Amino acid sequence: MLDTFFGSATLAAALRLSIPLIFAAIGGCFSDRAGVFNIALECFMLCAAFFAALGTFFTVNPYIGVLCGIVAGLVCSLIFGLFVFHLGSSAIVVSIAMNLSAWGLTTLLMMFFWGARGSFVSERLVSLPSVNIGILNELPVLGKILGGQNILVYIGIAAIFVMWFLMYKTPFGLRLRGVGMNQKAAQTIGINTLKYKWTANLITGALCGLGGAVLPIGGTSIFSENMTAGRGFLALAALLVAKDNPLTAGLFCILFAYTEALALGLQNIGIPSQLVETMPYLTTILVLVIAGIKQKLSQGHRRPKPAKAS
Amino acid sequence: MNAYLELRQISKFFGSFVANDKIDLAVKKGTIHAIIGENGAGKSTLMNVLSGIYRPDEGDIFINGKAAHFQNPTAASRAGIGMVHQEFMLFPELSVLENIIMGYEQTRVPGIISKQKSRAAVDKICKQYNFNVPLDAKAGVLPVAMLQQVEIVKVLYHGADIIIFDEPTSVLTPQGIEGLFRAFRALTEKGKTIIFITHKLQEVLAVADAITVLKDGKVTFNTTPAETDEKELARMMVGRDVLLNAVKTERKPGETALSVENLTVLGENGEAKVKSARFSVRAGEIVGIAGIAGSGESELIAALFGLAPAASGSITLNGKHIEKLSPRERRCEGIGYIPQDRNAEGSNRTSPIWENCMMGYHVAHSSKNKIFIDRKDIYGFTNSVVSEYNVKTGSIFSNVSDLSGGNVQKMIVGREFMQDNKLLIIEDPTRGIDIGAIEFIWNKIEELAASGVAILMVSHELNEVMEVSDRILVMNSGKLYDAGKYGELTEEQIGVLMMGGQKE
Amino acid sequence: MKKLPIQSKNFIYEAVKYLAALSAALLLGVLIIKLQGQDVAAAGKAVLFGAFGNISRLGNTIRWVTPCLMTGIAAAVSFRSGIWNMGIGGQLYMGAFAATAVALYIPLPQTVAPIVCLIAAGAAGMAFALIPALLKRFLGVSELITTLMFNYIATLLTTYFTKLVNGISANNNSKAMATPLIDDRYRLTTLIPKTNASTGIFIAIFFVVLMYLVYKYTIMGYEMRQVGSNIRFARAGGVRTNRMYLMIFLLSGFIAGLAGGIEILGVYGKFTANFASNIGWDGIMIATIAANSPIATGFVGILWGALKSGSLYMEALTETNRLTVEVIQAAFVLFVTIDYRGFINRLRENRNRNAAKAVKGA
Repeated sequence: MLDTFFGSATLAAALRLSIPLIFAAIGGCFSDRAGVFNIALECFMLCAAFFAALGTFFTVNPYIGVLCGIVAGLVCSLIFGLFVFHLGSSAIVVSIAMNLSAWGLTTLLMMFFWGARGSFVSERLVSLPSVNIGILNELPVLGKILGGQNILVYIGIAAIFVMWFLMYKTPFGLRLRGVGMNQKAAQTIGINTLKYKWTANLITGALCGLGGAVLPIGGTSIFSENMTAGRGFLALAALLVAKDNPLTAGLFCILFAYTEALALGLQNIGIPSQLVETMPYLTTILVLVIAGIKQKLSQGHRRPKPAKAS
Repeated sequence: MNAYLELRQISKFFGSFVANDKIDLAVKKGTIHAIIGENGAGKSTLMNVLSGIYRPDEGDIFINGKAAHFQNPTAASRAGIGMVHQEFMLFPELSVLENIIMGYEQTRVPGIISKQKSRAAVDKICKQYNFNVPLDAKAGVLPVAMLQQVEIVKVLYHGADIIIFDEPTSVLTPQGIEGLFRAFRALTEKGKTIIFITHKLQEVLAVADAITVLKDGKVTFNTTPAETDEKELARMMVGRDVLLNAVKTERKPGETALSVENLTVLGENGEAKVKSARFSVRAGEIVGIAGIAGSGESELIAALFGLAPAASGSITLNGKHIEKLSPRERRCEGIGYIPQDRNAEGSNRTSPIWENCMMGYHVAHSSKNKIFIDRKDIYGFTNSVVSEYNVKTGSIFSNVSDLSGGNVQKMIVGREFMQDNKLLIIEDPTRGIDIGAIEFIWNKIEELAASGVAILMVSHELNEVMEVSDRILVMNSGKLYDAGKYGELTEEQIGVLMMGGQKE
Repeated sequence: MKKLPIQSKNFIYEAVKYLAALSAALLLGVLIIKLQGQDVAAAGKAVLFGAFGNISRLGNTIRWVTPCLMTGIAAAVSFRSGIWNMGIGGQLYMGAFAATAVALYIPLPQTVAPIVCLIAAGAAGMAFALIPALLKRFLGVSELITTLMFNYIATLLTTYFTKLVNGISANNNSKAMATPLIDDRYRLTTLIPKTNASTGIFIAIFFVVLMYLVYKYTIMGYEMRQVGSNIRFARAGGVRTNRMYLMIFLLSGFIAGLAGGIEILGVYGKFTANFASNIGWDGIMIATIAANSPIATGFVGILWGALKSGSLYMEALTETNRLTVEVIQAAFVLFVTIDYRGFINRLRENRNRNAAKAVKGA
């Protein structure tokens, strides 16, 4: 029983499952911070996953696959940015259309290149090798969890801190937060808000690219149709709960991944996995509700404002 | 001594509207230069030109004798011009320190903010000018007086030599205003130059070294406090070359229609915006409320029409309590409402004229059928509004966005006036429309009053309040003051009351 | 040049916009098919035949048009009044399961059985919309996010419920687990034998026509539209905006739930976990393209359903995958959302500014 909850197998699985979420969520933090409501993380990730697999398949080199994933994520964010920043489309509608076309497009490409539907397995789809960092392996308990993971796992963990640093300790991060908080105020001190929004958008694309790349070549060596299966939305939930703080978002991703890992274990002892899996979404709503109550209590009455056009 | 900052023949157009018309201005170093004028006189436009937010269409700016052209706010800032906006340009979720250094961060290692270095720089400024701001507090939780200090420290930190204050006292308490003026003097002693935009005359006389009056986008008067007084300034500010006249008829007001007792209304942050207001309007009487924007007049109107709740007090219409009723129910009680903002609240620009005329009418005065749109009735009503009020349009099926501003206003006024109401609450009925239309609407108000409708009008045009009202009230900082009957007080006297002066 | 009246100018602009977007999307589709080395003409023909070729194909098209109309109108109703109900998918799942549960557990006579099931479905969808509506209304929590999250909660919950129906211990780790079939008396009447076209289509058409009539002829519809385009104006005019907001949200949820019920009673006859992966999103896309007008939703819904049915046929007949059609559909949405007018205006402004600069510089 205890093993189900805290066994090193569960924890290691949680860590592995959390990495794609972490990348996507901290990437999404940047867009959301800049005031760009991007719910196309799912699309960014799925495209990246496919192209990471494709790159690996052709070169038999997972590192090139990772690179392809990043490029795919960036291209997706370019399309998103083009429509939202320059063509006046609604971010929400663009996101929905992109999410839906991603599923179709990656599956089509999958059939085109590999002639397969459902899922594709190949010897050429090499996973990233395990990295052995001496000290980590030798740690008493953590060694079993942290040791012997692939390089993206370590990069993912590091990215949480690096991106947190970028967001909170650099002039770029400060200005970015300013742009999202009060665009007019940012403009009066001469900040080019469009530039910051674009940068944030590209960061989102690149990080979602990494997150997507983990899926096919982070240990499983398989690409399957709609491989992300809602992970983009899970990442979105994490960043919303974390109020766009990469550190908190990272922690929530690990928590969400833990429930996912737990669900598998609990299934075996007869607890329905579905109920455990609703936890991330319920958490998100709960946190928003608490924030709403707080705001309600701290404010007086407002005259209704015109509905925001999105 | 030569002027430190000089504007020569500055003009700024918005379409065909001339916001600034060949403005000349000379400001000496180390002085407080006040620029006064009514709303819409072009003060804010001028300052936005100066701070690089707008680019002038004509004219030149000289600083210390050198021509300066600002492409953007950063360029103006580099040239030493800083602005404290009326609406604070702050980031509520960030700390005060972060607010101040945003865009001008100090670094030790490139790309990484050095909090210590930034803090030291800000601290130095605070010490030098004797400001005491809590650098680690979140900006969003601070009181406005403190936020204003933050804004001042911010522009000083940006290296400003000339600091523009746009209506800085409108949000402050008397004590806060005293503190601000102390800061003004401390700044000028250290060689900074201050441009102070306001419409409060007493403040100008108390603190300024030089005064420039703007009216309709032009400079009309340059003076100093020693050479002038409130009366003269008020006349220069509001006096018109062509004063419009309303036709007033002899009317016998009837019973009390609207009666307001001890009405208090709270603003967004829970502060009292209307403080124990008490007044009444009789049937067939026009009561006008004069007040500058932000004096609580819009909150008063909102509470009277049910758009904002009353914190306490009572509102009765013909003896019936209505303070708990919704706008819908108040409409059914016979209250009509003309909002100040015709585009945001008075009309729906994406809908045809008949749908706009229907709004409100369909609740209170249309036929008994409450399920289906009675087109015959609505079209008839719309047609009568359009013809009675000269709304110039090809068809009642055209969208409101195709109408000119004046015609939209006539449509709204017509819609509310042609319903069989007992009380009309009117906010700025003639804002931004041409003179012919203004006189037309004034006459309609007079006609309605003659037919026994009670009318409460709030206007930011003092001239309008004075010409149209039978009885005048002045609103200042949430309180209502009696300003006599029609023609009892002069424009200057009421102007002084509005700007917080004492009744003589 | 003669100046056109503004209305017809608008109409021409809209028509050109849709044509441009559609041709761009089709062009993309042709490109995709060509790249795969397949026959564009054959694929096109197959889609057309698959959608309308014979009576049984037509039946299949009706089967797909039904949910497209229902979810499309559910989305249009909420969007038109400024409510971002992204949870149509989730509400549909809840409705579908509710209909199944009633059919499985409540013995009913034939005459009322389908009606009770459908009402249960609508009520379930409505209940699932109620929480986000209340949260938005009283706490200001963005309905967009809550409904998005509720989609996932709905799929997980209904999967769990399905499991409960089958008994926890049953072997059901497969994603495609399903409840037992419901009794025939609960099902909607089939319109065309051997197809899944059911009387559900009449319910869908009813809602499209109903919403058209409501918007055009009733005071309530008038108020719903005004709330959507300027809520402050509506409030000042005496519209009960709060009540209106709740009502519209619930109506949208009701229609979405009903859509789920029709899927079960008209097509599947049992609840299968994750049975309708994208249909909620389809509704949102349909409403977006139709600019939230009920009649346009009707046309776009028919187009969408026809494409779905046609593409399924095409997939069976030719090498071309039906996903190609889905990509074309999404691209169509993408191109329709472009604010061409704003874009052209900005280009013009830039050109003017550059021209002004050039004059100044010279």
